[in-house]
Amino acid sequence: MTDPMLEVRNLKVAFPCAGGVIRAVEGIDLITKKAECVALVGESGCGKSVTALSIMKLLRTPPSVSRIDKLQLDGRDLARLTDREMERVRGRDMAMIFQDAMTALNPVMTVGKQIDEVYRRHTRLSRKDARQQTVSALELVGVPEASSRANSYPHELSGGMRQRVLIALAFACMPKLIIADEPTTSLDVTIQAQVLDVLKSMQQDHDVSALLITHDLSVVVNMADTVYVMYSGKIVETAAVQGLFLEPRHPYTQGLLASVPRLSDDKQAFVQIPDTVPHPMRKPSGCYFHPRCSRSSIPCPQRMPRLEPLENGRQVRCWHPLHQEREM
Amino acid sequence: MSERSVFLRVAQRGSSFLSLVKKLWQHPKGRVGLILVGFLVLVAVLAPVLAPYDPYDVTQRAEKGLRPSLQHPLGTTITTGQDIFSMLIYGSRVSLMIGISTGVVLAFLGALMGVMAGYIGGFVDNLIMRIVDVLLVIPTLPLIIVLTNFLGRSYFVIVLVFVLFGWTGLARIIRSLVLVLKNSNYVKAAELAGASRWYVMTKHILPGTSHLIIMNTTLTCAGIMVAEAGLSFLGLGDPTAISWGKMLAEAQGGGALLFGAWWWILAPGAGIFLAVFSFMRIGIVMEEVFNPRMKASSSIYKLFKHLNNTYLEEVFRSMEDEECPESSQEPDYLDASHAEGPP
Amino acid sequence: MKRSYVIKRILYAVFIFFVVLTLNFFIPRLGVRDPAERYYPPRGAMSDIEYEIIKQFTREQYGFDVSTFQQYIRYVQGLMRLDLGTSLQPGSPKVTTLIGQRLPWTLVLSVSTLLISLIIGLLFGTLAAWKRGRWQDTMLLNASTISIALPSFFIALMLSFYLGFELELFPAYTNPNMVAQFDWSWKAIQVVLNNAALPIMSMTLGGIVGYSQTTRNSVIAVTNEDFVITARAKGLSHTTVLYKHVLRNAMLPLATSIGMSISGLIGGAIIIERVFNWQGMGTLFLEANSTNDYPLMMGIMLFLSAFAILANLVTELFYVILDPRVTVGDRR
Repeated sequence: MTDPMLEVRNLKVAFPCAGGVIRAVEGIDLITKKAECVALVGESGCGKSVTALSIMKLLRTPPSVSRIDKLQLDGRDLARLTDREMERVRGRDMAMIFQDAMTALNPVMTVGKQIDEVYRRHTRLSRKDARQQTVSALELVGVPEASSRANSYPHELSGGMRQRVLIALAFACMPKLIIADEPTTSLDVTIQAQVLDVLKSMQQDHDVSALLITHDLSVVVNMADTVYVMYSGKIVETAAVQGLFLEPRHPYTQGLLASVPRLSDDKQAFVQIPDTVPHPMRKPSGCYFHPRCSRSSIPCPQRMPRLEPLENGRQVRCWHPLHQEREM
Repeated sequence: MSERSVFLRVAQRGSSFLSLVKKLWQHPKGRVGLILVGFLVLVAVLAPVLAPYDPYDVTQRAEKGLRPSLQHPLGTTITTGQDIFSMLIYGSRVSLMIGISTGVVLAFLGALMGVMAGYIGGFVDNLIMRIVDVLLVIPTLPLIIVLTNFLGRSYFVIVLVFVLFGWTGLARIIRSLVLVLKNSNYVKAAELAGASRWYVMTKHILPGTSHLIIMNTTLTCAGIMVAEAGLSFLGLGDPTAISWGKMLAEAQGGGALLFGAWWWILAPGAGIFLAVFSFMRIGIVMEEVFNPRMKASSSIYKLFKHLNNTYLEEVFRSMEDEECPESSQEPDYLDASHAEGPP
Repeated sequence: MKRSYVIKRILYAVFIFFVVLTLNFFIPRLGVRDPAERYYPPRGAMSDIEYEIIKQFTREQYGFDVSTFQQYIRYVQGLMRLDLGTSLQPGSPKVTTLIGQRLPWTLVLSVSTLLISLIIGLLFGTLAAWKRGRWQDTMLLNASTISIALPSFFIALMLSFYLGFELELFPAYTNPNMVAQFDWSWKAIQVVLNNAALPIMSMTLGGIVGYSQTTRNSVIAVTNEDFVITARAKGLSHTTVLYKHVLRNAMLPLATSIGMSISGLIGGAIIIERVFNWQGMGTLFLEANSTNDYPLMMGIMLFLSAFAILANLVTELFYVILDPRVTVGDRR
């Protein structure tokens, strides 16, 4: 197997606060191969965004505390880098696309200038050349009249346009890894499709690895090669996308898939996973999912299962995974 | 929009004056503020009892310009021989009375205007906001000076101008809150049920703004007391009354600086400071109570000073999978070598 | 779009000015049926007939002999010619002349205070935001409370006493010959600075704390915004993030704050000028008050209001340049 592009081992993030400690991320491993698109799936509050920020080392120490065993990008150790050294990595080798394009852009700077910044920071381009690159980057993501649009302010653009700007921003220096945090959540469905197309083609055409963070399974099915399912700070299942969708092993994954309404179904009631995600400061004992799990029995409430490897490189963290019989 | 959620949170707490006082008492800084205010009110009310001499009584004057002694803890004035300590005590009456009464009136007026502007909207809103614009450009101090010239020097004129001009601040804030509350569910429900505008305004909107009103009023009282001191200093208040601002003017004019009677200046200044400070303290504590996120929380920072404390390590250890051979490598600390900066 | 906004603001400012102007016209007529009585209140042993003659004379002199409406028109016409009236001082100087003489001196104090407070306030504020939650920050919060509770004139008195009388570092009262002897020579400038030191010190203390607090709150609010994370995710250096992204946005509420200070720039120094007997607009106004010089008083009032309106307008328009999001929208 080729060397992974991104390797994260045993990432833990906690937020101490007045009432206790928020356990945001509890020891997760993540691997992204070159040109691969990995999806990190989970409901809000499960720690996905925190994971993304941790990988970019954007979390500040107050209010967070983190530990990690290994953080490598294309073989280069990032964990030991100082903030100043990380500044050279961010934007150039590793970039991020944020969820809400309206708040993610500086309201008093034109979008062109905000993209120019990236070029001028990481390359030796002159102001004129940087602007040329900016315009071509905008054209690449499908912004019409790119050269005049570049002089617009974020609030003058539509939601979809802004998201494309974010994408252009991230891909500016052709980084090795793109982390996309819910890139389409705040968009209309039709725009979503367009933006995802752009993302996909950028990723494929330029061999860029992607870590896609989302709670929307339809996005996952169209974009990802491998899927990591996250619940309450822990990875509960990993699999190749087809295998995950056809044969989920973790009850939570199954619940997620079942709760997506399908047009083909006869008129049935919405399927829901009962109850809600656990509060990050008061997690259940044993397996975090057991209070909502229909398959819960001994030893689910007592002990947290380990992440066990299955066939085809799959993993699952469950005492009673689905389709267990078939494996035997 | 975090501003919106702050407003909603403020509006949704149950309102009760006593529970508010209780909450303030529990907060250490709030307790200090409450005690100070209580102390000042007592002093003002019991002034005739507490003051050793009656500064209004001409027969009780002593020798002029005495230095502090047992009989006159702060000496006597150079100009008239009045006991400064007694004047200090009596002076509290003017400050507190004007501060509190004006503050209360402003609370009503400002809230009324704000609620009307925000809730009724349209022409009323426009009208009120235009009036606010005009009032804001007129310089208040010169106006008070002009009016005291025409209508006579008295605290009535001062309070009048305060009231006429001072409601604008609160009105604006309340109006913003009301605009948010207008769209909340319980208000819409009441409207749909056919409640009259007035009913909705008094029974639903107004209680939602109560905490903001109280908090703002406390700070307004503090501001008024400072302003009144300044005006009395300029001689615009009642010439016969004793107020701290006036004492400062007398002190300067009477040559306190020249003769080194610094206590004559310090005493009324300390009085002003104490009064304003205590009210502000309460106001600030109230803001913290209603809006915990605004705290300059040093406590969180202290938490982080002990980054590698055992509790945190316990937490991290507990995140490990069971029966897993411990990682042979030393775990790296993502945060070990970063530069500090704004969180 | 922006141009129509600008025009709207300007027209609105003119409208407000007319409202203020009208108020200014009518205030002296409060409480007195006949304006002449105000200018010449009945004194001592004067028979009624004599008083009537005097009043008639006064009326003619000051133009009260025509109807109120005509007086108003004349007033407005005068203003169009930038004539604020004639003072009752001996020699009947024009109000505008007197203002012109005293205004620069007030500006010396006010502008210096503004600049010093602003610069130091910005620095302290950013520092407090940087070190949020630590002692620098808490100290600022305490300083804020304390500085509001200590009125500037009290500080002025204490400074005047300690630095002026006791230590004799600076003059506790302004040299009365300072204005007359001013001839733009270096020595004269030194005298001015020496005399201005205590007044400026009294005013800057409160100003510094105020601006620090505003800056601190603004910077903290902006630092928590998403686009700051984006800026860091782009790998921009700390300084770039701070200046081009954080401060650039944190300045916006500060601009409003500065605008408000500017509109109160002139009138705000009244008390301090009185403490130190500094011959500026403040003392001019107080003198006019004690001599019942109504034209001068009302002229200064109008001037101050006009200044405030202008300052507000300039701030609003400046804000349009600073914040591209402000367009035709009405109240923020």
